[in-house]
Amino acid sequence: MAKPIPKIGSRKNGRIGSRKHARKIPKGVIHVQASFNNTIVTVTDVRGRVISWSSAGTCGFKGTRRGTPFAAQTAAGNVIRTVAKQGMQRAEVMIKGPGLGRDAALRAIRRSGILLNFIRDVTPMPHNGCRSPKKRRV
Amino acid sequence: MTYLLYPPLILPCPCGWRNHILAPPSSTATTMNPVQRRGLSGSVQPGQDFVGRSRSRSVRCMANPRRVKMVAKQIQRELSDMLLTDKVLQFAVLPEASLGADRYLSSLTTISDVEVSSDLQVVKVYVSVFGDERGKEVAMAGLKSKAKYVRSVLGRRMKLRLTPEIRFIEDESFERGSRVIAILDKIKNEKSLENQNGELSDSSAHDDDNWDDVDPDEGIIYVD
Repeated sequence: MAKPIPKIGSRKNGRIGSRKHARKIPKGVIHVQASFNNTIVTVTDVRGRVISWSSAGTCGFKGTRRGTPFAAQTAAGNVIRTVAKQGMQRAEVMIKGPGLGRDAALRAIRRSGILLNFIRDVTPMPHNGCRSPKKRRV
Repeated sequence: MTYLLYPPLILPCPCGWRNHILAPPSSTATTMNPVQRRGLSGSVQPGQDFVGRSRSRSVRCMANPRRVKMVAKQIQRELSDMLLTDKVLQFAVLPEASLGADRYLSSLTTISDVEVSSDLQVVKVYVSVFGDERGKEVAMAGLKSKAKYVRSVLGRRMKLRLTPEIRFIEDESFERGSRVIAILDKIKNEKSLENQNGELSDSSAHDDDNWDDVDPDEGIIYVD
Protein backbone atom coordinates (compact mmCIF):
# COMPACT_ATOMS: atom_id res chain seq x y z
CA MET A 1 0.00 0.00 0.00
CA ALA A 2 1.33 3.40 -0.93
CA LYS A 3 -0.50 5.47 1.70
CA PRO A 4 -1.18 4.32 5.23
CA ILE A 5 -4.87 4.14 6.03
CA PRO A 6 -5.58 6.50 8.92
CA LYS A 7 -6.89 4.73 11.96
CA ILE A 8 -9.91 6.06 13.81
CA GLY A 9 -7.97 6.94 16.90
CA SER A 10 -5.03 8.49 15.12
CA ARG A 11 -4.14 11.95 16.32
CA LYS A 12 -2.19 13.10 13.32
CA ASN A 13 -5.13 13.96 11.14
CA GLY A 14 -7.31 15.23 13.89
CA ARG A 15 -10.08 13.05 15.23
CA ILE A 16 -12.29 11.67 12.53
CA GLY A 17 -15.33 11.73 14.75
CA SER A 18 -15.39 15.48 15.00
CA ARG A 19 -15.66 15.97 11.26
CA LYS A 20 -19.10 14.45 11.20
CA HIS A 21 -20.59 17.23 13.25
CA ALA A 22 -20.22 20.03 10.74
CA ARG A 23 -23.70 19.36 9.50
CA LYS A 24 -26.65 21.65 9.24
CA ILE A 25 -29.54 20.92 11.51
CA PRO A 26 -32.63 23.05 11.19
CA LYS A 27 -34.28 21.63 14.28
CA GLY A 28 -32.73 20.92 17.63
CA VAL A 29 -33.30 20.62 21.32
CA ILE A 30 -31.96 23.04 23.89
CA HIS A 31 -31.48 21.63 27.35
CA VAL A 32 -31.24 24.11 30.18
CA GLN A 33 -30.14 22.76 33.52
CA ALA A 34 -30.72 25.49 36.07
CA SER A 35 -29.46 24.78 39.53
CA PHE A 36 -29.19 27.36 42.26
CA ASN A 37 -25.49 27.90 41.73
CA ASN A 38 -25.04 27.53 38.00
CA THR A 39 -26.82 27.18 34.68
CA ILE A 40 -25.73 24.85 31.91
CA VAL A 41 -27.15 25.22 28.42
CA THR A 42 -26.63 22.35 25.99
CA VAL A 43 -27.81 22.15 22.43
CA THR A 44 -28.38 18.73 20.96
CA ASP A 45 -30.09 17.42 17.89
CA VAL A 46 -33.44 15.73 18.05
CA ARG A 47 -31.91 12.38 18.88
CA GLY A 48 -29.90 13.77 21.75
CA ARG A 49 -26.39 14.02 20.35
CA VAL A 50 -24.71 17.11 21.71
CA ILE A 51 -23.80 19.85 19.30
CA SER A 52 -22.45 22.46 21.63
CA TRP A 53 -22.80 23.64 25.18
CA SER A 54 -22.03 26.54 27.38
CA SER A 55 -22.49 27.36 31.00
CA ALA A 56 -22.34 30.34 33.27
CA GLY A 57 -18.98 29.16 34.52
CA THR A 58 -17.46 28.93 31.05
CA CYS A 59 -18.69 32.41 30.26
CA GLY A 60 -16.27 33.80 32.78
CA PHE A 61 -18.45 34.12 35.84
CA LYS A 62 -17.14 32.66 39.04
CA GLY A 63 -18.56 31.81 42.38
CA THR A 64 -21.91 33.25 43.40
CA ARG A 65 -22.29 35.19 40.18
CA ARG A 66 -22.78 32.01 38.21
CA GLY A 67 -26.18 31.54 39.72
CA THR A 68 -27.53 34.89 38.65
CA PRO A 69 -30.01 35.27 35.82
CA PHE A 70 -27.64 37.51 33.89
CA ALA A 71 -25.08 34.72 33.74
CA ALA A 72 -27.73 32.34 32.46
CA GLN A 73 -28.63 34.86 29.83
CA THR A 74 -25.04 35.19 28.56
CA ALA A 75 -24.60 31.44 28.51
CA ALA A 76 -27.73 31.00 26.44
CA GLY A 77 -26.67 33.80 24.14
CA ASN A 78 -23.29 32.17 23.59
CA VAL A 79 -24.76 28.86 22.62
CA ILE A 80 -27.32 30.37 20.30
CA ARG A 81 -24.68 32.33 18.47
CA THR A 82 -22.60 29.20 17.88
CA VAL A 83 -25.56 27.21 16.75
CA ALA A 84 -27.30 29.80 14.61
CA LYS A 85 -24.29 29.69 12.31
CA GLN A 86 -25.09 26.05 11.70
CA GLY A 87 -28.52 27.07 10.61
CA MET A 88 -30.80 26.11 13.45
CA GLN A 89 -34.17 27.69 13.18
CA ARG A 90 -36.54 25.79 15.40
CA ALA A 91 -35.89 24.37 18.79
CA GLU A 92 -37.55 22.67 21.65
CA VAL A 93 -36.53 23.64 25.14
CA MET A 94 -36.18 21.23 28.03
CA ILE A 95 -35.80 22.78 31.43
CA LYS A 96 -34.41 20.97 34.40
CA GLY A 97 -34.13 22.09 37.95
CA PRO A 98 -35.12 25.06 40.06
CA GLY A 99 -33.06 28.17 39.79
CA LEU A 100 -33.10 31.60 38.28
CA GLY A 101 -31.57 30.39 35.05
CA ARG A 102 -34.86 28.95 33.90
CA ASP A 103 -36.57 32.19 33.16
CA ALA A 104 -33.54 34.15 32.05
CA ALA A 105 -32.28 31.55 29.60
CA LEU A 106 -35.74 31.13 28.13
CA ARG A 107 -36.06 34.81 27.54
CA ALA A 108 -32.63 34.97 25.95
CA ILE A 109 -33.55 32.14 23.60
CA ARG A 110 -36.79 33.82 22.68
CA ARG A 111 -34.99 37.10 22.01
CA SER A 112 -32.44 35.56 19.72
CA GLY A 113 -34.95 34.76 17.05
CA ILE A 114 -35.06 31.00 17.25
CA LEU A 115 -38.59 29.63 17.03
CA LEU A 116 -39.63 27.75 20.11
CA ASN A 117 -41.74 24.70 19.41
CA PHE A 118 -42.33 23.43 22.90
CA ILE A 119 -41.22 24.18 26.41
CA ARG A 120 -40.94 21.11 28.56
CA ASP A 121 -40.00 20.64 32.13
CA VAL A 122 -37.94 17.53 32.62
CA THR A 123 -36.89 17.86 36.24
CA PRO A 124 -36.15 14.35 37.48
CA MET A 125 -38.88 13.28 39.80
CA PRO A 126 -38.49 10.06 41.74
CA HIS A 127 -41.54 7.93 42.31
CA ASN A 128 -40.31 7.87 45.92
CA GLY A 129 -36.95 6.29 45.29
CA CYS A 130 -33.69 7.25 46.93
CA ARG A 131 -33.56 8.94 50.31
CA SER A 132 -33.08 12.67 49.88
CA PRO A 133 -30.30 14.51 51.75
CA LYS A 134 -31.04 15.76 55.23
CA LYS A 135 -32.84 19.04 55.77
CA ARG A 136 -30.74 22.15 56.06
CA ARG A 137 -31.13 23.80 59.41
CA VAL A 138 -31.43 27.54 59.36
CA MET B 1 -38.39 54.17 66.08
CA THR B 2 -38.33 56.56 68.95
CA TYR B 3 -36.81 54.37 71.56
CA LEU B 4 -33.27 55.16 70.60
CA LEU B 5 -33.16 58.46 72.42
CA TYR B 6 -30.92 57.61 75.29
CA PRO B 7 -27.23 56.91 75.31
CA PRO B 8 -26.29 53.30 74.79
CA LEU B 9 -27.42 51.03 77.53
CA ILE B 10 -26.29 47.57 78.32
CA LEU B 11 -29.06 45.20 79.24
CA PRO B 12 -28.51 41.64 80.30
CA CYS B 13 -30.55 39.34 78.16
CA PRO B 14 -32.97 37.21 80.14
CA CYS B 15 -31.99 34.10 78.31
CA GLY B 16 -28.41 34.52 79.36
CA TRP B 17 -26.99 34.38 75.88
CA ARG B 18 -25.28 37.69 75.81
CA ASN B 19 -25.59 41.27 76.80
CA HIS B 20 -27.45 43.51 74.48
CA ILE B 21 -26.28 46.97 73.74
CA LEU B 22 -28.87 49.47 72.66
CA ALA B 23 -26.99 51.54 70.13
CA PRO B 24 -27.72 55.12 69.03
CA PRO B 25 -30.05 55.61 66.03
CA SER B 26 -27.26 55.54 63.48
CA SER B 27 -27.07 51.78 63.57
CA THR B 28 -29.14 50.00 61.00
CA ALA B 29 -30.67 46.83 62.33
CA THR B 30 -30.63 46.89 66.05
CA THR B 31 -29.40 43.52 67.06
CA MET B 32 -31.60 42.77 69.96
CA ASN B 33 -32.09 39.14 70.17
CA PRO B 34 -29.96 36.11 69.99
CA VAL B 35 -30.74 34.19 66.90
CA GLN B 36 -33.06 31.37 67.71
CA ARG B 37 -31.16 28.71 65.92
CA ARG B 38 -27.78 29.80 64.79
CA GLY B 39 -25.78 27.82 62.33
CA LEU B 40 -23.27 26.97 65.02
CA SER B 41 -25.04 24.04 66.50
CA GLY B 42 -28.20 22.19 65.91
CA SER B 43 -29.41 22.63 69.46
CA VAL B 44 -32.41 24.74 70.12
CA GLN B 45 -32.03 27.99 71.97
CA PRO B 46 -35.25 29.28 73.31
CA GLY B 47 -35.79 32.63 71.68
CA GLN B 48 -36.86 35.62 73.63
CA ASP B 49 -39.39 38.04 72.45
CA PHE B 50 -38.64 41.03 74.58
CA VAL B 51 -35.32 42.17 75.86
CA GLY B 52 -36.79 44.18 78.66
CA ARG B 53 -38.65 47.35 79.29
CA SER B 54 -36.96 50.27 80.83
CA ARG B 55 -38.19 53.78 81.20
CA SER B 56 -41.24 53.30 78.93
CA ARG B 57 -39.20 52.31 75.95
CA SER B 58 -40.69 49.47 73.98
CA VAL B 59 -38.19 47.25 72.37
CA ARG B 60 -38.87 45.02 69.43
CA CYS B 61 -36.86 42.02 68.58
CA MET B 62 -35.06 41.93 65.30
CA ALA B 63 -33.08 39.04 64.03
CA ASN B 64 -29.52 39.18 62.89
CA PRO B 65 -29.36 40.48 59.31
CA ARG B 66 -27.23 37.53 58.35
CA ARG B 67 -29.85 35.19 59.62
CA VAL B 68 -32.53 37.07 57.73
CA LYS B 69 -30.58 36.45 54.55
CA MET B 70 -30.19 32.79 55.35
CA VAL B 71 -33.87 32.40 56.04
CA ALA B 72 -34.69 34.19 52.80
CA LYS B 73 -32.45 31.87 50.83
CA GLN B 74 -33.91 28.83 52.49
CA ILE B 75 -37.45 29.99 51.80
CA GLN B 76 -36.53 30.52 48.17
CA ARG B 77 -35.20 26.99 47.92
CA GLU B 78 -38.24 25.51 49.58
CA LEU B 79 -40.71 27.43 47.47
CA SER B 80 -38.94 26.59 44.22
CA ASP B 81 -38.89 22.99 45.24
CA MET B 82 -42.59 23.13 46.02
CA LEU B 83 -43.31 24.60 42.63
CA LEU B 84 -41.58 21.65 41.06
CA THR B 85 -42.90 18.83 43.18
CA ASP B 86 -46.12 19.83 44.85
CA LYS B 87 -49.13 18.83 42.83
CA VAL B 88 -51.53 21.27 44.43
CA LEU B 89 -49.36 24.27 43.71
CA GLN B 90 -48.63 23.18 40.17
CA PHE B 91 -52.29 22.81 39.48
CA ALA B 92 -52.93 26.28 40.88
CA VAL B 93 -50.32 27.84 38.64
CA LEU B 94 -51.03 25.84 35.53
CA PRO B 95 -54.58 24.53 35.46
CA GLU B 96 -53.98 22.28 32.49
CA ALA B 97 -51.53 20.24 34.54
CA SER B 98 -54.42 18.32 35.98
CA LEU B 99 -55.40 17.11 32.56
CA GLY B 100 -52.02 15.54 32.08
CA ALA B 101 -50.40 18.22 29.95
CA ASP B 102 -47.90 19.00 32.61
CA ARG B 103 -44.80 18.24 30.62
CA TYR B 104 -45.66 20.59 27.79
CA LEU B 105 -45.92 23.96 29.39
CA SER B 106 -47.69 27.04 28.27
CA SER B 107 -46.13 29.19 30.94
CA LEU B 108 -43.20 28.88 33.28
CA THR B 109 -43.26 30.27 36.80
CA THR B 110 -40.07 31.08 38.60
CA ILE B 111 -39.41 32.56 42.00
CA SER B 112 -36.93 35.29 41.32
CA ASP B 113 -36.52 36.83 44.73
CA VAL B 114 -37.60 36.53 48.31
CA GLU B 115 -37.51 39.41 50.76
CA VAL B 116 -37.98 38.80 54.42
CA SER B 117 -38.74 41.53 56.90
CA SER B 118 -36.20 41.90 59.63
CA ASP B 119 -38.44 40.37 62.26
CA LEU B 120 -39.08 37.33 60.06
CA GLN B 121 -42.81 37.84 60.03
CA VAL B 122 -43.58 38.98 56.52
CA VAL B 123 -42.19 37.42 53.39
CA LYS B 124 -42.54 39.01 49.98
CA VAL B 125 -42.06 36.53 47.19
CA TYR B 126 -41.35 37.98 43.75
CA VAL B 127 -42.61 35.68 41.06
CA SER B 128 -41.77 35.97 37.40
CA VAL B 129 -43.95 34.24 34.86
CA PHE B 130 -42.84 33.49 31.33
CA GLY B 131 -45.65 33.28 28.87
CA ASP B 132 -48.47 35.28 27.46
CA GLU B 133 -50.75 37.69 29.26
CA ARG B 134 -53.39 35.17 30.13
CA GLY B 135 -50.84 32.71 31.48
CA LYS B 136 -49.47 35.42 33.73
CA GLU B 137 -52.84 36.30 35.15
CA VAL B 138 -53.77 32.72 35.72
CA ALA B 139 -50.49 31.96 37.44
CA MET B 140 -50.58 34.97 39.74
CA ALA B 141 -54.21 34.45 40.64
CA GLY B 142 -53.56 30.80 41.37
CA LEU B 143 -50.58 31.58 43.59
CA LYS B 144 -52.38 34.27 45.52
CA SER B 145 -55.29 31.99 46.19
CA LYS B 146 -52.96 29.35 47.59
CA ALA B 147 -51.06 31.68 49.93
CA LYS B 148 -52.45 30.09 53.08
CA TYR B 149 -51.75 26.60 51.85
CA VAL B 150 -48.20 27.58 50.99
CA ARG B 151 -47.77 29.06 54.43
CA SER B 152 -48.85 25.86 56.10
CA VAL B 153 -46.62 23.66 53.97
CA LEU B 154 -43.68 25.96 54.58
CA GLY B 155 -44.29 25.74 58.30
CA ARG B 156 -44.17 21.99 58.09
CA ARG B 157 -41.00 21.97 56.04
CA MET B 158 -39.01 24.61 57.84
CA LYS B 159 -38.48 24.86 61.54
CA LEU B 160 -39.25 28.45 62.36
CA ARG B 161 -40.72 29.76 65.55
CA LEU B 162 -43.42 31.67 63.72
CA THR B 163 -44.17 30.90 60.13
CA PRO B 164 -44.24 34.19 58.29
CA GLU B 165 -47.08 35.57 56.26
CA ILE B 166 -46.45 35.11 52.56
CA ARG B 167 -47.28 37.63 49.91
CA PHE B 168 -46.81 36.94 46.23
CA ILE B 169 -45.85 39.88 44.07
CA GLU B 170 -45.45 39.86 40.33
CA ASP B 171 -41.90 40.60 39.23
CA GLU B 172 -41.67 42.50 36.02
CA SER B 173 -37.98 43.21 36.03
CA PHE B 174 -37.15 40.25 33.81
CA GLU B 175 -39.69 41.36 31.28
CA ARG B 176 -38.44 44.93 31.25
CA GLY B 177 -34.81 43.90 31.05
CA SER B 178 -35.54 41.58 28.18
CA ARG B 179 -37.35 44.33 26.30
CA VAL B 180 -34.49 46.77 26.81
CA ILE B 181 -31.93 44.27 25.60
CA ALA B 182 -34.07 43.45 22.57
CA ILE B 183 -34.25 47.12 21.65
CA LEU B 184 -30.51 47.53 22.11
CA ASP B 185 -29.85 44.51 19.92
CA LYS B 186 -32.12 45.89 17.25
CA ILE B 187 -30.28 49.19 17.28
CA LYS B 188 -26.96 47.42 17.09
CA ASN B 189 -28.11 45.36 14.13
CA GLU B 190 -29.40 48.40 12.35
CA LYS B 191 -26.13 50.20 12.92
CA SER B 192 -24.07 47.33 11.59
CA LEU B 193 -26.32 47.11 8.54
CA GLU B 194 -25.83 50.81 7.92
CA ASN B 195 -22.09 50.43 8.17
CA GLN B 196 -22.12 47.60 5.69
CA ASN B 197 -24.26 49.56 3.29
CA GLY B 198 -22.03 52.60 3.70
CA GLU B 199 -18.93 50.59 2.77
CA LEU B 200 -20.59 49.13 -0.30
CA SER B 201 -21.60 52.51 -1.64
CA ASP B 202 -18.07 53.92 -1.10
CA SER B 203 -16.42 51.16 -3.10
CA SER B 204 -18.88 51.56 -5.99
CA ALA B 205 -18.15 55.31 -6.19
CA HIS B 206 -14.47 54.52 -6.40
CA ASP B 207 -15.10 52.16 -9.33
CA ASP B 208 -17.06 54.80 -11.19
CA ASP B 209 -14.16 57.22 -10.97
CA ASN B 210 -11.82 54.69 -12.49
CA TRP B 211 -14.19 54.05 -15.35
CA ASP B 212 -14.40 57.72 -16.29
CA ASP B 213 -10.66 58.16 -16.52
CA VAL B 214 -9.99 57.35 -20.17
CA ASP B 215 -7.17 59.88 -20.47
CA PRO B 216 -3.50 58.90 -20.96
CA ASP B 217 -2.65 59.73 -17.37
CA GLU B 218 -3.24 56.17 -16.40
CA GLY B 219 -0.08 55.96 -14.43
CA ILE B 220 -1.44 58.33 -11.83
CA ILE B 221 -2.80 56.38 -8.90
CA TYR B 222 -5.55 58.13 -7.05
CA VAL B 223 -5.22 57.53 -3.37
CA ASP B 224 -8.13 58.15 -1.13
